[in-house]
This record gives sequence, C-alpha cells and structure tokens, in this order.
Amino acid sequence: MMAAVGAPEVISQLESAAKVLMAPPSMVSTEQRQHAEHIFLSFRKSKSPFAVCKHILETSKVDYVLFQAATAIMEAVVREWILLEKSSIESLRTFLLTYVLQRPNLQKYVREQILLAVAVIVKRGSLDKSINCKSIFHEVSQLISSGNPTVQTLACSILTALLSEFSSSNKTSNIGLSMEFHGSCKRIFQEDDLRQIFMLTVEVLQEFSRRENLNAQMSCVFQRYLALANQVLSWNFLPPNLGRHYIAMFEATQNVMLKPTESWRETLLDHRVMDLFFTVHRKIREDSDMAQDSLQCLAQLASMHGPVFPDENAQVTYLAHLVEGLLNMINGIEIEDSEAVGISNIISNLISTFPRSVLTALPNELFASFINCLTLLTCSFGRSAALEEVLDKDDMVYMEAYDKLLESWLTLVQEDEHFPRGCFVQPAVQVFNSYIQCHLAAPDGTRNLTANGVASHEEEEINELQEDDRELFSDQLASIGMLGRIAADHCIPLLTGLLEDRVTRLHGQLQRHQQHLMASADPGTVDRKVLDDLYEDIHWLILVSGYLLADDPQGETPLIPSEVMEYSIKHSTEVDINTTLQLLGSPGEKATSIPGCNRTDSVIRLLSAVLRTSEVESRATRASLTELLSPQMGKDIVWFLRRWAKTYLLVDEKLYGQISMPLSTAFGADTEGAQWIVGYLLEKVINNLSVWSSEPELANDTVELLVTLVEKRERANIVVQCENWWNLAKQFASRSPPLHMLSSTVQRTLMKALVLGGFAHMDSDTKQQYWAEVLHPLQQRFLNLINQENFAQICQEEAVKQEIVATLEALCGIAEATQIDNVSSLFSFLMDFLSSCIGLMEVYRNSPETVNLIIEVFVEVAHKQICYLGETKSMKLYEVCLTLLQVYSKNNLGRKRLDVAAEEDQYQDLLLIMELLTNLLSKEFIDFSDTDEVFRGQEQSSGAGRAVSAADVVLYGVNIVLPLMSQDLLKFPSLCNQYYKLITFICEIFPEKIPQLPEELFKSLMCSLELGMTSMSSEISQLCLEALSPLAEQCAKTQEKDTPLFIATRHFLKLVFDMLVLQKHNTEMTVAAGEALYTLVCLHQAEYSELVETLLSNQRDAVIYQRLADAFNSLTASSTPPTMDRKQKVAFLKSLEEFVANVGGLLCVK
Amino acid sequence: MADLDTDFTSGDAGASLTFPMQCSALRKNGFVVLKGRPCKIVEMSTSKTGKHGHAKVHLVGIDIFTGKKNEDICPSTHNMDVPNIKRLDYQLVGITDGYLSLLKDNGDLREDLKLPEGDLGKEIESKCWTF
Repeated sequence: MMAAVGAPEVISQLESAAKVLMAPPSMVSTEQRQHAEHIFLSFRKSKSPFAVCKHILETSKVDYVLFQAATAIMEAVVREWILLEKSSIESLRTFLLTYVLQRPNLQKYVREQILLAVAVIVKRGSLDKSINCKSIFHEVSQLISSGNPTVQTLACSILTALLSEFSSSNKTSNIGLSMEFHGSCKRIFQEDDLRQIFMLTVEVLQEFSRRENLNAQMSCVFQRYLALANQVLSWNFLPPNLGRHYIAMFEATQNVMLKPTESWRETLLDHRVMDLFFTVHRKIREDSDMAQDSLQCLAQLASMHGPVFPDENAQVTYLAHLVEGLLNMINGIEIEDSEAVGISNIISNLISTFPRSVLTALPNELFASFINCLTLLTCSFGRSAALEEVLDKDDMVYMEAYDKLLESWLTLVQEDEHFPRGCFVQPAVQVFNSYIQCHLAAPDGTRNLTANGVASHEEEEINELQEDDRELFSDQLASIGMLGRIAADHCIPLLTGLLEDRVTRLHGQLQRHQQHLMASADPGTVDRKVLDDLYEDIHWLILVSGYLLADDPQGETPLIPSEVMEYSIKHSTEVDINTTLQLLGSPGEKATSIPGCNRTDSVIRLLSAVLRTSEVESRATRASLTELLSPQMGKDIVWFLRRWAKTYLLVDEKLYGQISMPLSTAFGADTEGAQWIVGYLLEKVINNLSVWSSEPELANDTVELLVTLVEKRERANIVVQCENWWNLAKQFASRSPPLHMLSSTVQRTLMKALVLGGFAHMDSDTKQQYWAEVLHPLQQRFLNLINQENFAQICQEEAVKQEIVATLEALCGIAEATQIDNVSSLFSFLMDFLSSCIGLMEVYRNSPETVNLIIEVFVEVAHKQICYLGETKSMKLYEVCLTLLQVYSKNNLGRKRLDVAAEEDQYQDLLLIMELLTNLLSKEFIDFSDTDEVFRGQEQSSGAGRAVSAADVVLYGVNIVLPLMSQDLLKFPSLCNQYYKLITFICEIFPEKIPQLPEELFKSLMCSLELGMTSMSSEISQLCLEALSPLAEQCAKTQEKDTPLFIATRHFLKLVFDMLVLQKHNTEMTVAAGEALYTLVCLHQAEYSELVETLLSNQRDAVIYQRLADAFNSLTASSTPPTMDRKQKVAFLKSLEEFVANVGGLLCVK
Repeated sequence: MADLDTDFTSGDAGASLTFPMQCSALRKNGFVVLKGRPCKIVEMSTSKTGKHGHAKVHLVGIDIFTGKKNEDICPSTHNMDVPNIKRLDYQLVGITDGYLSLLKDNGDLREDLKLPEGDLGKEIESKCWTF
C-alpha cells in the first residue's frame, strides 16, 4: 500500500507520525499514538521499500524517521533476499556505508542502526556463495589507515556491529532465520573474519601504544579499539561438533574462557600479541576505564586453553611468558584501586585454567617469584580490604580482589602433592599472619585503623537479617583455615597463644569491672571499649580456629583434617599425655600456670583455649556480669564447640589410616576425657539456656550444640549418664522459668534433643523413668487442661492458649526427632494427641495462628514418620488426616480472607494443607516400612479392611485446595511450587482417579497443568510434563475415546509437540518433554501425523523439507507402530536427541 | 468498634489485667501492652547496637480496640506486660433502635452495644434481616 503512494507523501506521513510518537503523553491520546505506531509497522512491512527508504535517508531531517528507514531496509533485505539481484544488494550496502561516512554528524542511534543493517546484510550474505561481502574488511582497513579519528571511530563501530551480529548471543538481531543458520555463520566468521578483525585491532593498538602524546580525541579512539579487542578475546567460540549447542547458544553466557580454534594458533601464540597488551596496560593504567579493558584482555589471555596449543610444551612456554609479563607489570608499581580486581582475575584465571603439570614445569625461579608475588599481593589486598571496611566504602574492590586470590590459594594448595614438598608453607604463614593481623586490634593488629593509624570505632545498629561473620566470610575463612593447616606448625601455636592471652586479659578486665561495680554499683559508667576490642579479637580467633580444626560437611561424617592429624602425630613423642589431660580438664586455670604446659598436644591446647574462653564467660554469668558479656562471643563459643564435637568427640579410629595418640587418648570412645568433656558441654548448654534466653540466636546455636551431642547414639549414651541431663529434662517438662522464656523455635529444638536422648542406651527401668520425666508430663498437662469442665469457657484466655501453643510446639519437636529405630513409640505417642488436636481446630477456628500450628503438627508427623509406617499405622494416620481436612473445610466455608493483595503468610494454612497432602503422597514412592518390621509384629495385617486410602485423603484435600488456588495466589513462589508439586504427584500416583473427578475440578486441574507447562518456571514446567505420561497411559488403559481426559491429552500433544520442535527450550527439559510426547503420540497417532504434515507443508525450501521429513521418519523409525513399551520409549528418546541436534536448529527461529 | 473500649477497663473481678513476660518469649500474633494499650503483635524483629551488643526487640502492635498502630523498642531481657485478653462470641438475635441484641452462651441477653457505623454496620444489618 505504501509503494502506491509517492515518496514525498510517505515522508510527510511518517514525519507527522514521528511527531506524535515523540510528543509528551499529555499532548496526544492513546489512539493517536497507536495509530502512529501502526503507520511505522506497516511501513516496515511494505514490499521492496528500498527506493523510498533511500529517498527518506537523503531528504528527511527527522532522526526517528531515518532510524525507521534503516530498520525497514534491514528487515526487507532479509525478507526478500532470494528475490533480490545480488548486485542491488551490494549497491545497497555500499550506499548505506557511504551515507554514514559522509554524515559524521548523524545522531548516534541512527548511525548505529544503519551500521546494524550493514552488518545484517554481511551476515546474511556470508553463507550465500553468489555474493561477496568480504570487501567490507578491505574498506574498513582503509578507513583505519586514514588516520582521521572520526573515520577510525566509524570503522570501529562497523567492526563492533559485525561482532555483535555474528556472536549469536542475545545481541544478535532477530531476523527470522533458523538457529542452524546463525550457528553456521558464526562458525565461518570465527575462523577467518574474526581473526582479521583482531589483527586490525592489534595494529591500531600498536600504533597508539607507540605514540607519545595522545590528545583527548585520539585516546577516545584508542579506548574504543581496546574495548573491541576485549570483545574479540571474550568471544564464545563455537566448537566444531554440532549437538546441543544450537539450542543453548542463544543463552547469554558470562565469563567466557578463551578457547579459540586451531586456526588461531599462529596469531595468539605470537608473544608480541601478549606483550602488546602488557605495554598497552602500562601506558593507560591510570585511566580506570581503559585499565579495566586492558586487564580484562590479559585475563582472557590467561584463560586460554584448548586446541590452540599444539602440545604441553607450547602451554609451558606461553604460561612462562605470561607470568614473566605479569611479574614485570606488577613489580615496581603501586597498584591503583581500579587495577586490583583485574589483576586478581588474571591470576585466578591462570591458576584455574592451566593444569598443575604445566605450572610445575615452569622454571623453578620463575615459579618461586610468582608464588612470592602472589603472597605479597594477597597480603596487600587483604590489608586494603580491611581499610575499605573501616571506611565503609560502597564499592569494595579490594575485598573482591582478596576473595579471588584466596580462592586461587585454595585451588593451589588443595592439590599440593603436585608441587615441591613444603613449597607453600612459607607463603601460607605469611597470608595467615596478615589475615590475623588485619583482624586483631592494635597493638598486635591493625583492625579499625585507617591508613594514617587513627582508630575508628563506631557502634552501628545491626539488624537480625545481617548474616553472622561465620557465614558472611565463610569462603575467606575456609581458605585461611586451609592455609593454616598447611602451615600448622606455625599457625596452631600462634592461634593458641593469642587466644590464651586474650582470655587472660578478658578475665582480668571483667574482674576489674566487678570490683568497680561493687564500689559504685552503677553499670552505666563502665567503658566498654576495651572489652569490645577483646571480644572482637576473640571472635575472629575462634572463627579461624574453628575453620582450621574442622570442616562442616553437609550429610557426611566430618573427619579430622589429615594435616591436623599429621601435625599432632608428628609431635606426639614430645608430648606428655597426663599434662595434656590436665590442661584440658582445668579450664578454670591459666594454661601457662600449669607446670609442663609446653609439653602438651597443640591441637588439644587450642581446644582448651576455647574452653578457657567459655569458662571465663560462664563464671562471669555466675558473678552477675552477664550485661558486660558479648552474646556474639557466646555464639562463637558454642558454634566452635559444635563444629569441634562433630569431628573430634569420640573419634572413630576405624576411619583413619593413622591416629594421633593424644587425640585418641583424650577424646576416644570409653575415655575419661570424652566423658568429662560431654559433661562440660552439657553444663555449658544448660547455663546458656538459662542465662541467654533473651538472645534468640545464641540460644539457638546452644540448643543446636545439644542436638549434636545426642543425635549420634555413641555420644547420647554418655549424655544420658549425666545427672544434669535429667535435670534439664525435668525442668523443661515442668514448663517453668527459665526454659519457658526461650523462643518457640528454641523450645521446639530442645524438645527434639530431649526425645533423641531418650533413645540412648539405658536399662529398661531407667528408660521407663526417662519417658515418665520427659513425655508423660506433656501428655498429662495437656489432658488435664482440655478435659477441664470449663475448658470451653477458658480456652480463649491467653494463659490457656499459651499452654496449648507450647504443647503443639513440643509435638512438632517430638516429630522432628523421629528416626527409624524410635518411630514405633513416637508414632503411638503422637497419635493420641492428633485426635485431640482436631478438637482444638474447632475451638480455635478464629485464631489462625493456632490453626496453622495444629496443621503443622500433622505436617511434621506425616513428613517424618509416614515413610516408616506399615499398612495399619498408615491407615490410622490417613483417617485422622481426613478428619482434619473435613474440619478445616467446614471452618473455611464462607470464610473471607482480608484482602486479595494480602501477604503470603495470610495463606500459610493453605500452604500447610498442601504440604500435608504432598507428604502423605510421598509414601507411595519413599517407603521404608518392611511389613512393619519396626513395629515388631504389634499389628496384624489387615489388607482387606482398608477403610481409607491415601488417594481418598489426598483427593478430598485437593477438592478443598483447588477452588481456593487462584491465579493471584500462584504468584507467591512458595504456594506455586507446593501446588504444582502436589497436583503433579497426584497425576503420577493416582492417574486412575483423575477421570473420576467432578467436572469443574477436572477442568481446573487440566488448566493448571497447561499453565504450569507454558508459563511458569522451567522447574514447574518439568513437573507438569512428567505428569502427562501417566495420564496418557491411563487413557490407553481404559480404551475409551471421547472422555474428557482423552480430549485433554490430545490438546497436550499439540502443546508438547510445539514446545519440543518449535520453541527454544531448556535442554534439561528434553527428556521430560520427550517422554510425555512419546506416550501422547502412542495415544493419538493420527493427530501426530497431522501435526508433522502441517509442519512439513509449511516448508518452501525443498532441501529443508527433505531434511525435516527424513528427520521425522527416523524419529519414529524404531518405534513403529508406537506402543507403550519401555524399550521402544527408550529408543524414541534416543532418536529424539538426534532429532533435536540435527534439525532443532532449523525449526527454532530468531 | 471503639465503643467496646469500656470492656477493657472493667475486667473480671480479681483477675489481674496483665501479666509479665520476658520480651524474647513474646511471639508474633500474640498480645502485649504498648504505650499503655493492649495490642496484637503484628511485627517483631531484633537488632543490636554494635557487634557485641545485646539484643533489642522492636515491636509493632495494633491496638485491639482502636486499630491504631503502636511501636516500642526495648532490651530483650525486659519484662513486658501481656494483657489478659478474653474473647467472647455472641450470637446476634436482633437489632433495636441501633442497639444489638446479643445472646450469651448462658442464655442471657446483652443489649448495651451499638450497631457499628459504616460498612460493617450495614453488613451486619443486612445479614441480620435475612434470617
């Protein structure tokens, strides 16, 4: 339509539309705006707009119209490529380039758009043999050699546009061609043109680096070419083998390591290239922007690997040159702030990229200098990082650089057997010392000192969300701990000495305060500065000691680190065991006052230094000085003791090749040392729980230490022999101060610990007595309360409610303590409560938080116990859950929630119900019950009398939940995840129940599946795909056509087909989608053939048609006719993988 | 609901209006007296001054009668007053001259409470007449 109108009319129409679009919102209506947009859209779609566009570019003065004209050319060239004369394409490209050259004052966005059009033309032509676009490089090199900065900048823009266009990343324009096309272009480009661009860039950089004085305009050009070089060196090289890369390549990749193809060998192994970047950096390092690019170029060169190296020798030579250059660059300069991160990137890249064998093949002297330089750099960055913290800078560049270097150290020393023995000891000592120094107060350390030596001391408000240092700096601490182990001979005694000294000083300081208080009795006058400095010193010393002595692996048995074990063994001949035990057993005494204290085991002495700290703390609390103490230090102590106890307490000799005598004598099984320390830790826990009930985090760490003590049977056996343990149990059961002042989570964990302890080894009388102390009072109090005649009247009283809440919390704690060998007794105990709890649902229906807590008890019981329950017991649990759901549903009838935009915790009950249902379902696939082995024949099998099944309960629950789940609620991630977990489980486990659902429910279930598949996260999409196969299988089983489920699966076939074949999807999903597709294809073979036919008939290119048709044939070849048979399914999945690799790129379009 | 205020001051004979509880043992959705008013706790967070400081609890509560927001911050070792809240459910049997007729559990009638103003009042009225 546009072509019919004369050019001047088109221009004036476009110009007035541009005016509308550019106008402020108040000046034009939405309709006017939409109309204007429409004009541009249809203009860009018009057929062969080249002449009009040329005319516009030459005459119009409106930038936006120029921009649109460039866009129109770009889109039309791609659209009409096959129809266009090759010569007219050539002349078009020349026109665009000349146009830009002749108009240096174009708006930047117009110029970039025109260059983009040029780049797209070059790219589209690169696979077309009938047209040669190579001349562009010749033109560009001429532009560069012109010496005119403006022209050179333009040349750089052209190259940048080409680079973005060919990179096949998210920077590539959407030109509607297949991924395969993009991939092939990229592969050709990176072999030749990219290298040519790199060479051009290197020439420019060489030229500039030789010049003495650069004016502002020239250094601007310099900077652009440097950025271009960085872009080339960060190129994500597409490997020659095809495969899945087609699908994944449009994902934006960050931190690409340089892995060029073989053809780059000559270029990149040329030392002059690397030298150039060092020279460039030296020249511009004071300009922080440019320095970032030059260092990044070097970091990319330091990450080089792959086929570009012919052999290991070449790698050694390359690395040696790199390291030499790096050392020359760093030595003798004062590093700028802006260089820190870049330099640490170079080092971290080279350490993680080059194999150990290459590192060790470096000339000895060079390697030593490198390690030495790395050591100095690490210490220096560490100090600067500490300074940044003092100054509270927003941009912590040194901290980032320091983290990187410490991480590199960890990589190095973790494989230290490849290196000369002991070569890292001295460096480790230095880095360790400097870390300690930065974290200690003056005069030993430099903490909180600014550069000119002034101490800054600010008390800031810290909220509960702020992570503890032990988490916040866990990576740093892990590295420092590792270095400490490497240099154990130095580091362990150092830590011990410092900690003992601080503890002695803390003790003295507290004593002075006590005397002072007794004299003036006004705690307000105490100056906390000295105390706080000591606390902070102790804080860091304990953290480092904890990380040095032990690891905290999740889910594995932690072992004593081999370096620590060897260290203790090495010195065991000089050690006097008795003195060591004496030192350990007398935390109240000064270590140095014990005769022969220098002949004690150093590992044990470090532990006892922490015990001494703990003892000073405990004594201070007894002397009513709690207010002067630091809860942070209290946390550090119990955190350390827990970490230590997991690894060292009752050390199992079987786990070690060799064991240190002092360690096994002091902490081995059946030793007095172990018994003593268990007693000591228990006392510490009890003291903390009463003194620190007001510090939630400290109380929590404390009770976690208690759990650690009882969760392992061997340790628990010792614990239950302590009288203190029994006192604790009684005290907690009586719900009296101080334990009842603890926060609810702490009380819950405490209950868990008490229950766990009950399964330690005891004779049957003792055991009975124990349960009588721990569990029965709970039951008794509860029954007494709810059976009171006037319970209905008093139940809403706050005190009564609190008692109920405390009981419910305790029940959760009991459920949490479930293990396979105690489930039988705990289940029976909890079942008695569950029915009473349902009664409470009625009573407290207007108190949501209590209702939630009641449901939570059910959730916990199901979560922890159902997998162990046999048939009869499970049935009991199902029944009681069903009753709970009935009551919940009745109470929910007509209930209104405050407002739709309410917060997530308003829907806590819904979440809990779904969690409960999911937990009940989990029985179907995680089942440890061995015909009630755990219940030792307590029950008779009663398969025939199955009253309630899991399916009944769950479907009943879904009936309640589904109508309540609206689209709005799915926006809450926790609700959404739980919901999909639940409904997909149901489809997988009870597919036979799905067709029986009421119509409305069925519909919304299917809608949910579709929604989850198409518009939720990939995790949920995968869940939904997994739910489809069982549904399709169900349909096949019944052989009924035209049932709602049958029709629904037909719809899903199309969805999955499109998803797999046409859309760019996550590769992780191929398997789930493939399985779903296969079963759906089996069910709807005719519809599948139809889908394939339609797809093929849309292909106009005969070659592509044939490729696709062949691919579809071989896809189903191994499974014709498709049947639901495992073997065929597996064969199909295999063919599918090939299918996606072969033609996935053809159909997926960008 | 402001006219229910009188209930708070009267209390049951002999029962204390409040009881003390350590700040750390309070929980969200529980009750506490803030600025002399009985409040339902809607937000509770802890903080400390300096790394080695002791915990302080920041409490936000909604006055259970007026719906007004009250805040307080105090050391977590402190004892706070917890109001003795008693909740009674009445069944509405009728509305006369703007006053509600409420049936107690023991069968007695209570007729001293006004129909609330605004939307809530209208809703109550409309529901009452549909019986």
